[in-house]
Amino acid sequence: MNAMSTTLDARVSEEEPLADVKDLRYAYEDGSPVLDGIDFRLKTGTVTGVVGPSGCGKSTLLSILAGLSEPTGGSVSWAPGVMTDRHPTSMMFQNDTLLPWLTVRQNVGLHYRLSAKRNRPSATEQRERIESLITLAGLTGAEDRFPYQLSGGMRRRTAFLAAVTPRPRTLLLDEPFSALDEPTRIAIHQDVHDVIKQQRITTLLITHDLAEAISLSDQVLVLTARPASVFRSFDIPFGEKRSMLELRDDPTFLSLYGEIWEHLATQIQRSNQRAA
Amino acid sequence: MMTNTTVARPASLGSAPKPALKPKSVRVRNRRLAIFAGQVIVLLVFLAAWQFLPLIPALSAWSHVFDPYFVSSPTKVATSVFDLATGSNNSVLIWPYMWQTVFASLLGTVIGLVLGGVCGLILSNFPFLSAVMRPFVVAANATPRVALIPVVVIIFGLSLTTSVVIAVLVVFFVAFFNAYEGGISIPRQMIDNARLLGANNARVLLHVRVRYALAWTITGLPLAVTFAIISVVTGEILTGYQGTGYLLATAATTGNATLTFGVVFYLAVVGLLIVMAAEALRRRVLHWWAK
Repeated sequence: MNAMSTTLDARVSEEEPLADVKDLRYAYEDGSPVLDGIDFRLKTGTVTGVVGPSGCGKSTLLSILAGLSEPTGGSVSWAPGVMTDRHPTSMMFQNDTLLPWLTVRQNVGLHYRLSAKRNRPSATEQRERIESLITLAGLTGAEDRFPYQLSGGMRRRTAFLAAVTPRPRTLLLDEPFSALDEPTRIAIHQDVHDVIKQQRITTLLITHDLAEAISLSDQVLVLTARPASVFRSFDIPFGEKRSMLELRDDPTFLSLYGEIWEHLATQIQRSNQRAA
Repeated sequence: MMTNTTVARPASLGSAPKPALKPKSVRVRNRRLAIFAGQVIVLLVFLAAWQFLPLIPALSAWSHVFDPYFVSSPTKVATSVFDLATGSNNSVLIWPYMWQTVFASLLGTVIGLVLGGVCGLILSNFPFLSAVMRPFVVAANATPRVALIPVVVIIFGLSLTTSVVIAVLVVFFVAFFNAYEGGISIPRQMIDNARLLGANNARVLLHVRVRYALAWTITGLPLAVTFAIISVVTGEILTGYQGTGYLLATAATTGNATLTFGVVFYLAVVGLLIVMAAEALRRRVLHWWAK
């Protein structure tokens, strides 16, 4: 357990940006632009929430950062060699990506099955990592269940842990909790927040739920209607210790929500006008 | 006076106690018993009709369907079934023939599932190849496989191999289409996720695609095994070589209706047992497959 806690606490220079996204552009093959010059920095160890009108290109942005698609312009520069022992990027998808024939424990440890043998930690380390994550996210007791035996919330927790297991430098969350009911979502927010902060994972959260973005993030970006660029950026001052339930009636939370919502609403309106 | 429109019921009506409902488990059990009783009645009526209707001269004169010579009778068939199992009354023993048919069917199923599964998996992995092959696969599947039996016989002669090949021809396509369907229905995000978790192409293939295609192939197992038995028996009837099909052909050509029905009885029972076993195996292997 000792070796483990030192790796968990491994620090990096907090001020350095992990990724610098400059003038990122993306257009479909027919030339219609989706991303129109996105600029922002992912600060190491922080959570960046991205909100914007539906269909504005949020998911495209995420899949470029994940390396699943190529931008048509601009650049993403990653900080050189920061914590090279770490897995570069994990992503939690909107849809279920659990392998249905594996148990919760096996799904959480999926990275170890899929990665090259020489990169795998020892069996003991793997086991300890998996067990500690399962405990952190409150999945104790469900380790040997199969996905079809889990509630929606438990499936999402399992998928989240599977993404966290490789100790990613960056975690990309693509509207991961949109299918959950409100109480389940808030409970998951708490666990996700705690795990991300404890593991110091730099996170980019795409969501259409502004309350979710504010609760989890240190920085919220409002994107414009498509083609998207960053319309406004907001710092979220709640720090590392947050109670998701208490936040919801915190006056600062409420006023921030109101302020950001006004800007988001403008963009949603623009997006709707364009569609009409 | 709108406030007083409800008519007071006589006490005897309003407070009539509802009959207490029996617990659900009891109702379910009663219903099952009733269904089973109904099934027994249908069977008895059928057997009685089979046994006694052909004894009415007017009916048997009217149609061969009611002629005891052609349809035998349940009691005679029961005797024949007993004789086939024990060899009593100088009867042939069914077991060696049955073994031939079952062995060819099972072997053909296994080979067909593996070949079809692998081909389906490969094609689902390569959209270009699958587009090229598509019309050929569809045409081959539309061709009645029974029509190919003479060709198989010419190539492999009168042998066990012929029966196995016939089964493979049928099972292959069941497995192929299932594996292909499984291969292309893997959610894109599942593959992306596996890659982001560090999987190279080989590991995506091994840990995601193969598993998916395998699951879909196994789904088709009960159907495949049914098809295999049907086609093997058909082949045996056509070639008159070994197996239950041969026994059937002999019984039919010698006008022995009783023996024919006896063999058919065994085929039905063994077929049912194999399909049930296949179904059980499928459920066990794919327990995680929640529809």
